[in-house]
Amino acid sequence: MGAEALGASYRDPSGFVYTRDGALYRQVNRVFEGHYKAFLDSGLYAELVEGRLLVPHREVSLDLAASPEAVAVLEPERVPFISYPYEWSFGQLRDAALLTLDLQERALARGLTLRDASAYNVQFVGGRPLFIDTLSFEPREPGAPWAGYRQFCEHFLVPLVLMSRVDVRLSALLRSHLEGIPLDLGSRLLPRGTWLRPGLLFHVHLHAMAQRRYADRGSGAEGRGEPSAATRRGVSPAAATGLVRSLRGAVQSLDWTPAGTEWADYTADNNYSNAAADSKRQAVIEFLRGLEARTAWDLGANTGEYSRAARQVVPSVIAFDIDPAAVERNYRRVKTENETGILPLLLDLTNPSPALGWAHRERQSLEERGPTDVLLALAVVHHLAIGHNLPLERVAGFLARVGRSLIIEFVPKSDSQVRRLLRDRADIFPDYTREGFEAAFRGHFRIERAVPVAESERTLYLMTALPWQDT
Amino acid sequence: MYIDPTAGSLMLQVLAAAALSAVAMFSRLREVLKHFFRSLLPRRWAQKR
Repeated sequence: MGAEALGASYRDPSGFVYTRDGALYRQVNRVFEGHYKAFLDSGLYAELVEGRLLVPHREVSLDLAASPEAVAVLEPERVPFISYPYEWSFGQLRDAALLTLDLQERALARGLTLRDASAYNVQFVGGRPLFIDTLSFEPREPGAPWAGYRQFCEHFLVPLVLMSRVDVRLSALLRSHLEGIPLDLGSRLLPRGTWLRPGLLFHVHLHAMAQRRYADRGSGAEGRGEPSAATRRGVSPAAATGLVRSLRGAVQSLDWTPAGTEWADYTADNNYSNAAADSKRQAVIEFLRGLEARTAWDLGANTGEYSRAARQVVPSVIAFDIDPAAVERNYRRVKTENETGILPLLLDLTNPSPALGWAHRERQSLEERGPTDVLLALAVVHHLAIGHNLPLERVAGFLARVGRSLIIEFVPKSDSQVRRLLRDRADIFPDYTREGFEAAFRGHFRIERAVPVAESERTLYLMTALPWQDT
Repeated sequence: MYIDPTAGSLMLQVLAAAALSAVAMFSRLREVLKHFFRSLLPRRWAQKR
């Protein structure tokens, strides 16, 4: 079977990532051989891998190369689930930014530099950010400014300031701006008060002005594309390190406290009795024990209460929620308690992450990243069916495409949470009954078990997706 | 990945580096001058201070 390049890995002539026979490889091309060797010889690779800051790899035979330009083939440790910056909470983006700056400072100390500062070079593994682009390091040309400076500001700093100072939901701009939020847009959207913060004044506002001022000149002397004397020799190692530290100060000064939102407070503010919550938790764990699942997606996870229950049985749980505050709280708990098997992510289930980028192939849709072994959809279906008018049959169809098994909770109209949804609107959902729910889901799943949740009118189902789910 | 760092970003870094160098130079000059004038003072005065 031949090599197949990853959709996002084609812009860089130094190498690319591809799969062959299901294994993941990174090819190093001849043009980058010297830089790659310098990176290894500097000791930086060993230092970063030891600190779990960079994905480790092993060099394998050149016979596995995808093209004749290869001088080395690396087999990196596989990232269990690829997530994207527009799916991260504030704290996750901030930690990814700090990791990038940490790497750049360590690289500078060894005479190297990061060639770029893309947020897509970072993934979350074992509850921590991990840099995945081994070919991002190269020897630093004496005096050269940091080529990744603008990219760092547009991928990390501007989104973080907007989330911190304007509205946390502005992280959604990263979904429409895959190359980062443009500096001029960020500068215009930020409140005037940010002009009084030296770090933000310099790295965002003056940076945006400098971009405009020099936009027509090119980066070279007289716009010929050759580096001018000033830009060739202008930045000493101390100044380069100073720039990184200044950026770190700007990032560290930003904070966002998740206030009590509807979902972040949901666990404390729902209609379950303790007995009902215990009964539900035990049923979920019991269902999972029979599945031998390796991965689970908890849809509508809130702050991750049932994700943690699932984690007792399943090694890797992705806890999706629509609420930035709930995801942030979940991530902070993952960090505080050193939880390695839970990855909290932002997701609007009614508008899940689509395939994005050139030819729709650079960033995968949620569906392309599945199917997962088991889906948890607890207290979610009534929000989709009644809150968003999504027919149950369509909900079932989508869930069957992204999960092999499904643990789902049906919440009847008599439940206070559903009554709340219907309080101010006409009930146009005659099929929203337990019978209607089962009929809709039988089109896509085999119902294995159904157990009532104690002290409630809810029912918990275990289902298996039927094999024909490609429509 | 090879990215376009853009002229504005490069120039801003060079200007920042120049400003940092100027600050470092002036603080070094200040130290040198301070040291020079201290050396002019009688040793006893310097010890008292």
